[in-house]
Formats: sequence, C-alpha cells, structure tokens
Amino acid sequence: MSRYTPPEQSKAGQVFDIAVVVVAIFVALWLPLKLGLAGAAKSIDALDAKTWEALGQNPTMASIWEKLGYTPETAHDIIQNRFHYVIDWPTLVIMAAVLIGYFVFLFRASDREYRDVINEKFDDK
Amino acid sequence: MTVTLEPAIHGDRVSLLRVLGPAHVWALGVGIVLVGEFTGWNFAADKGGALAALIVCWVVGLLYTSVAMIDSEVTSTVAAAGGQYAQAKHIVGPLMAFNVALFLVFAYTMLEVSDAILLGDTIVAKAGVEGLTHNSFIAATIVVLAWLNYRGVLMTLNVNFVITAIAYISIVILFFSVSPWTQGAVLKLNELVTPGNALPYGWIGVIAAFQFGIWYYLGIEGTTQAAEEVRSPARSLPYGTMAGMITLLIAAAMTWYVCASMMPWEYLGITYYPLWDAGKLTGSPLLENLLFVATLLAALASANGCINDAARAWFSLGRDRYLPTWFSAVHPRYRTPYRSILFLLPIALAFAFIADLNQAITFSILSGVLQYTFMSINIIMFRKKWPLGSIRRGYTHPFHPIPAIVLFSLCVVTFFAIFLGFGSQLIAMVAFYFLISLWFHFYRYKFVRRGDQFTMPWPKPQGY
Amino acid sequence: MWTLLSYACWGISIVLALWMLYDWFKVDTTFSEEVLTSSREGELEAASEKHRI
Repeated sequence: MSRYTPPEQSKAGQVFDIAVVVVAIFVALWLPLKLGLAGAAKSIDALDAKTWEALGQNPTMASIWEKLGYTPETAHDIIQNRFHYVIDWPTLVIMAAVLIGYFVFLFRASDREYRDVINEKFDDK
Repeated sequence: MTVTLEPAIHGDRVSLLRVLGPAHVWALGVGIVLVGEFTGWNFAADKGGALAALIVCWVVGLLYTSVAMIDSEVTSTVAAAGGQYAQAKHIVGPLMAFNVALFLVFAYTMLEVSDAILLGDTIVAKAGVEGLTHNSFIAATIVVLAWLNYRGVLMTLNVNFVITAIAYISIVILFFSVSPWTQGAVLKLNELVTPGNALPYGWIGVIAAFQFGIWYYLGIEGTTQAAEEVRSPARSLPYGTMAGMITLLIAAAMTWYVCASMMPWEYLGITYYPLWDAGKLTGSPLLENLLFVATLLAALASANGCINDAARAWFSLGRDRYLPTWFSAVHPRYRTPYRSILFLLPIALAFAFIADLNQAITFSILSGVLQYTFMSINIIMFRKKWPLGSIRRGYTHPFHPIPAIVLFSLCVVTFFAIFLGFGSQLIAMVAFYFLISLWFHFYRYKFVRRGDQFTMPWPKPQGY
Repeated sequence: MWTLLSYACWGISIVLALWMLYDWFKVDTTFSEEVLTSSREGELEAASEKHRI
C-alpha cells in the first residue's frame, strides 16, 4: 500500500480550523442555556402551616436549621422544593437513539480509519 | 528572571521532561478529585436523600475502581501524553481518539471552571462584603495556575502535592474532632437520617443521584496524562492511580459520615460548602477556618491538575495533526506544552465568567461519562487485539472482563440519571460531539499522516 | 481588606498574563517552528526501552 501524504495546510486554514472548533464549543454550551434546556425540574410544594413539624423536621433537625440561621419560613422554600421524577418516554427514546447512534458511528468510522493506519504502519516495512 | 534562555534540546528535539514520581501521580489524581468532597457530591443528597448519597458513594466507587484498574493496565502499556487519547488512537482508531481528547479537554476545562467559580464564591461568602464579586478571584485562580503550569510540570505537581495533602488532612482532622466513635454528642446520624427520610424519592432518587455521585471521584483517570513526564510510567502510573483511588474512597466515606450526621439532607443537598458548613456547625472557629482554607486549597489543586491535563490532551491533538501542529510546541526551557496552556486559558476564563456552577459541573460530568463508556469497550478491544503475552504490559488487571462489564453497566445507569436531571442538555452535547466528529472524519482527517500515528513498538493487532 | 485583596488579584492576573504573553513572543521569535514542534509521541520508549515480550 502506498503511503498517504497529507496536504500541507495554509496558515489561514489552520486559524480557520481553530476558530471552527472554538465556535462549536461555545455554541454547544450556550444553546442549551439560551433555550432554557439546562436544569432539572424542581418545584415547590407549598405548605400553609410553616412550622418545623409540618415541614417534617424533628427537634434535632430544627435546632441545626436554626444554628444555620433559618426559620421555618425561610427554610420552607428549601425543604419543599422537590424533584418530580417523571420518565418522559419520547425524550428517553430520543436520547438513547442519539447516544447509540453516536457510538456506533464513532466505532465504525474509527475502524475504517484504523485499518488504513495499520496497513500503512505494518505493510511498508 | 535573569536566567537566559538555554534550550534544553536533546539531539535536535525538544520534548516534555521526565521528572515525576508516583507521589506526583497521586497528587495529580487526588488533587483534581478531592474538591468533589468539598462541594458537588452533596447534590446527590438533593437528588435522592442522604442514604442515596451514601449508596452512590459506594456504587460509583465501584465504577471508578473499574476505571482505575482498566486505565492502569492500558496506560502502563500505552504511556504517552494525552492518556486515554493515545490509548484510543492505538486501540480503536483516529476518530475515537479525537472524540476522547475532546471529552478530556472539556471534562477538565469545565472542572477547572467549576473550581474557579467555587473558589471565588467561597471567598465572597466568607468576606460578606457588599458589592464584592467573585470575578477577580476567578481571574487570579485561572491565570496564576496557568502561569504555574507554564513554568514547569515538576513545580506544578509539587505544589499540588502539598495543597492536596493539607486539604486531605483537614478532612481527617474534622473527622476525628467530631468524635466519630460516639453518636449523640456532635454527630446525630440516627436523628437526621431516619427511616422516613433516608430515601425521600425512593429508588428512582438513588438512580438520579448517580449524576452527582460521579463527582466524588471525577478526574482520577487524569493521572494518565502525566505518562510522558513520569520517570517510570509502567510502575508509577498504576501505583499512583490505585493509591489515589484508595485515598479517595476513604475521604468519601469520612465526608459522608460527618456531613450526614450534622446536617438535614434538605440543607446538605443545596449547600455549596458541605464540609465548611460542618466545620461551622462544630462551633469551633479553628475548625471552621481550617475547612474554609481547605475548600480553597482543594479548589486550587483541582484547577491546577485540570490545566495540566487539558493542556496535555490538546497538545497531543496538535502533535498528531488532528488540530493544527502549532499547538504541539514544547517550551524549550520549561518543557511544557505552553501554547496549549495559553490557548485554553481565555476559554476557561470566558466560561468562568458566563457559565454557572451547575452547568459547568454537568458539562464536565457528561464528558466524563462518555469517556468511561469508551474505556469499557476499549479494554475489551485491547485484550482482543493484543492478548496477554503478545506485548509487555506494565500491569495486568484481574478479573477481566468483569470490571469492563461493571463499568459499562454503571455508565448506562448514569446516562439514565443524567436523563432524569439534564436530558435535553445531554442530547445537545452528544449532537455537538456528533457534528464535530463528522467535521473531523470528512474534512480534518485529510491533514493527518496515517501510519505515523501508531507509535507503539507493538506487533500487528490480531484480526487486521 | 477583602476589596483590597480583590484588586490585588486583578493586579496579579494582569502581570502574570502579560509575562506569559511576553515569554511566548520571545520564545516564538527565538526558536524555529521545527525545533519547537519537534516532540514525538513514543520516542523515548523506542529509544530507552528495548521492547521484548
């Protein structure tokens, strides 16, 4: 097998490639934030009676909350702020498909490239 | 600096310097991770309660023990800067390697960003001064540590060893000063973790907690980045990594025990400073200040190790022409990948100023888990292509393929946990990796020399 | 005191950043690109360790 000689990349091309990568990184981080996708679903289950008992805190817990500077009123929003785990099946299926598709593509494309590497490395000796 | 530049060139080449020992490997691994005990792991309590945090501490500990075992075997054999990147390149193929390097750079850069934000916020919280923002402290953290990394790896990791040790010892001091052998005096585990509130969300909460359980240990696999700078990689890397893992398991257990015995889980789940708060709750100003300083030191050590690791991964990408070769420059005097360090500096700064802590942590965890998934498949391929006895391995891990299977299964569970918390972000991130992979496969790869990428003196892999 | 510390942090950041830029410029103009990017993966293994099974 003949050796593959890559083209020389121009300075401008190199700079452009770096810019592509940097922009991609920023977009990947910014988009979820901008679209409000980041963050898990948490919401406050409000209670009317704001006492330590109603909040499910025993005297030991209550004394620690107080040591940390909280009252039942200020602790209410922390304690009653709960997750509501619901399995959203369509999203789960999409996520699984995206992940599996990604890994399959990775391994298959890598293998194609890897065969070239091995052929060139071990055949021209 | 009055010393003139004298090029330390061997032959006509400048390479990274082999100066590190096992203690540095330990400091690099534990240094990056230990901050997780000071913040981050406790969000697992938010996701599933105090008991869930303990369960994931153990189960994710198992995941990382598998990571450490697998990593030790592969990296004691493929000892090159870039760590898992070089492993992927030799075992799976170029595109995988490109992705793994990106996982590494993102996991570490985002971890560095989280560390800097944490450090800034901790100082602001301590100061309690009106109008004081965390920006100056973030900038100083990132720039000073980049400078330290720029000036040489030995000094960088010596510093890391000292500050990591101090932070670690402070956890031990806290543990023993709350009389852990008697419950009821300071520690009130029975009253704080009751059958009624141990698992407030049931088992789904335990699974959700995996996401932040990762934070107990994230980054221990970074020890492999030092492969080109340790004096005897085949011995030091497995030794330092395993010692680091044991250290961390002990720290995680102590941290959980003290914190869960001192704070209600609802508070534990939302605080940014669980150990510092524990110090405060003891009522001893000495402990409070010790834990405050230790939180800062742990954040510094972590950011420091992250700069080291991210720069090496980026540097390796340049060296193989996956990215412009410009990045593969080694400083002739300090023998560090200085251009990579400088390039990543403004990126880290930008994200530290704009992103929030949760988002940075999630990005880091996601990249980490993608990488562990790769590692579980990688080791199976490694054993297949070069069976035991066909090449010299520095270390051979026992019970193959059980660790690989355990690792893979736990990665699947963690993906599900991330889906529960940050599903859409996971999809967005994988879409990003997918697009950049297409870019690499169909465009960028044409600049890469084929056979030259395979640098290990190994026989041809089986099946090719 | 904290505000002062904050200014000191900005100061240190700027000084060190400038120093790194200066050193970068100096190195890049003193040495040729071939020398700087001459590091090769696995070179030391090949030279120092005779690979035997």
